[in-house]
Amino acid sequence: MKKNIIRITFVILIVLTATVITHFDTFLYKSPIVKIEQVKVVDKDKSTDEYKNTDTQVSQKLTGVFLNTSKKGKKVTLKNSYYQSQLLDQEYRVGQQVLLSRSGNNYTIKNVKRDTTLVFSLGLVIILLFCMQFSRAKLLISVLLNLLVYFGFIKLLIHNNNGLLLLMTVITSLLISGIALLVILGPTSNALMAYLSTVCATTVSILLSVLLLKLSGNSGVHLELTDFGLQPYFSVFLSQVIFSVLGVILDETMDISSSLIEMKKEVHDVKEKVLFKAGINIGRELIGPLINILLFIVIAEHLNLILLYLSNGNSIGYTFTMTLSLGFAQLLISAIGIVLTVPITSYIASKIISRRAY
Amino acid sequence: MLFLLGAFIVLLLIVAGSRGFSLLFGLAINLISIVALLILIADGFNVLITTSIISLIILIVAIYMNVENANTANIAFKTSLLIVVIILLITIPLEFWASAQGMGVEDQEELEAFSLAAGVSFPQLAVAIIVVNSLGVISETSVAISSGLNEIILNKPSLTPKEVFADGFSVGNKILSTQTNTLLFNFFASTFPLFFLMNSLNYKFTDIINDKLLVAEILTMLICAMGVILTVPITSYFVYNKALKKSANSINK
Repeated sequence: MKKNIIRITFVILIVLTATVITHFDTFLYKSPIVKIEQVKVVDKDKSTDEYKNTDTQVSQKLTGVFLNTSKKGKKVTLKNSYYQSQLLDQEYRVGQQVLLSRSGNNYTIKNVKRDTTLVFSLGLVIILLFCMQFSRAKLLISVLLNLLVYFGFIKLLIHNNNGLLLLMTVITSLLISGIALLVILGPTSNALMAYLSTVCATTVSILLSVLLLKLSGNSGVHLELTDFGLQPYFSVFLSQVIFSVLGVILDETMDISSSLIEMKKEVHDVKEKVLFKAGINIGRELIGPLINILLFIVIAEHLNLILLYLSNGNSIGYTFTMTLSLGFAQLLISAIGIVLTVPITSYIASKIISRRAY
Repeated sequence: MLFLLGAFIVLLLIVAGSRGFSLLFGLAINLISIVALLILIADGFNVLITTSIISLIILIVAIYMNVENANTANIAFKTSLLIVVIILLITIPLEFWASAQGMGVEDQEELEAFSLAAGVSFPQLAVAIIVVNSLGVISETSVAISSGLNEIILNKPSLTPKEVFADGFSVGNKILSTQTNTLLFNFFASTFPLFFLMNSLNYKFTDIINDKLLVAEILTMLICAMGVILTVPITSYFVYNKALKKSANSINK
């Protein structure tokens, strides 16, 4: 117990140090950074737009000190204006560090320095992990390996100029799901079984959905609305679907197959049919919560845009078509995947497990 | 799209049988709650208060419609509520500090036709986004842990409180890693177009790690992970408390 407290204190100290260091890391930056020391509101202008939205435009005069570059220590005055709703622009506060961009002798604010917050939040997660008896090493290894694979994926994607996106997504998904299973279950035949089920279920559901989409001529799915209009639309969309559903399907196959293994351990001469039925019964309970997870993640991602559409006087129907049609298509494909995983995993697992001897 | 919807409903009814109807019903209620949330916020109601109320409704539906055992459902619901409150308390200062609300310069092209003076508080909406994002993960985690623990206690009623906690963590370990995967893979899904765009805009490393959109995505993932981590001890505690009361009652009798 005492050892534990010492270790936790140690972790907290490391996190705090890292946070403080990133607060003072301005010398690592090439772009000038200014710490805001004084904020003066110059002008406030309340206005109502054509859709009856009332918003206030505020102009600020900011005084700050350079923290890096050759101008370090010198003062600078900056102007900023923002709407109180702060969609794209923002209010600056005393004490904030901001990155500047320079054109000639004029500086404009480019961005807020956010790295300190990131490091602190990450540190908070790590502290929480250390406060409890989790098997941290496994978890961290799997996350790090997956991030590494993702980094390689991005590098290749940029290198190939998006050409082979779909192929690369498939390879990346095979890798990351494999890594996740290997780390959680170890190099066992159970991991292989879950892997097989995951791959089969994902493939079948994606192929079925693509077929259905093609049959309906992509009606109601505005593929051109993918994030940032990245091309080729269909590949980008499918890649996003595959990535987002993969984690949930992994969860599902692991749950079903490990429960079936338990069952086999308790009842040695269990029949294949009984196992299959039990698998379906277990899976049934998982469908609802798993679809819910994706439902909220997909909708949350589009909240900003949806509210912008609504506040600009668009009808709910039009807003949803423009913002959520892709999200809903993604959700439906995922839901089909989640449902199909139940019989596919139960089938594969019951076939393999019933032949095993325990 | 209709084909997809049709296929989903048919498959769901084949696989889940009559249970499929209640699943569909639950999903429909959740969707309606979310639409209500959007309309209320667009009409100018306070973002945080509206989100809290709607989250409460969503949690009730997500937990009580999916869990048949009342004991499990009660504990899962209590835990989820507490976790959502904690997430709110963590998110508000972190979002304030990071100023990662709204949309980024990367979205500017898409926004040209809009009046940006929307009158909606996007900093508050940023908090709402994280809360909504976490609802599914949190409710599933708490249900999984409380049902797993309840089953263990049923089979071995003689467990000491310490053992209940240890069991909670062994159930929690697996759930934590699968939820981490779900969160991580969803992060991959939503950020690869962003990374690609950043590259074509010639972002430097320092631009990337301070980018508003990316920081918002990472914060979402990290805060949801904190929620999942905290769910484990809190659920174990509630289960343990319940078991303690039960054993005290049986002794008195």
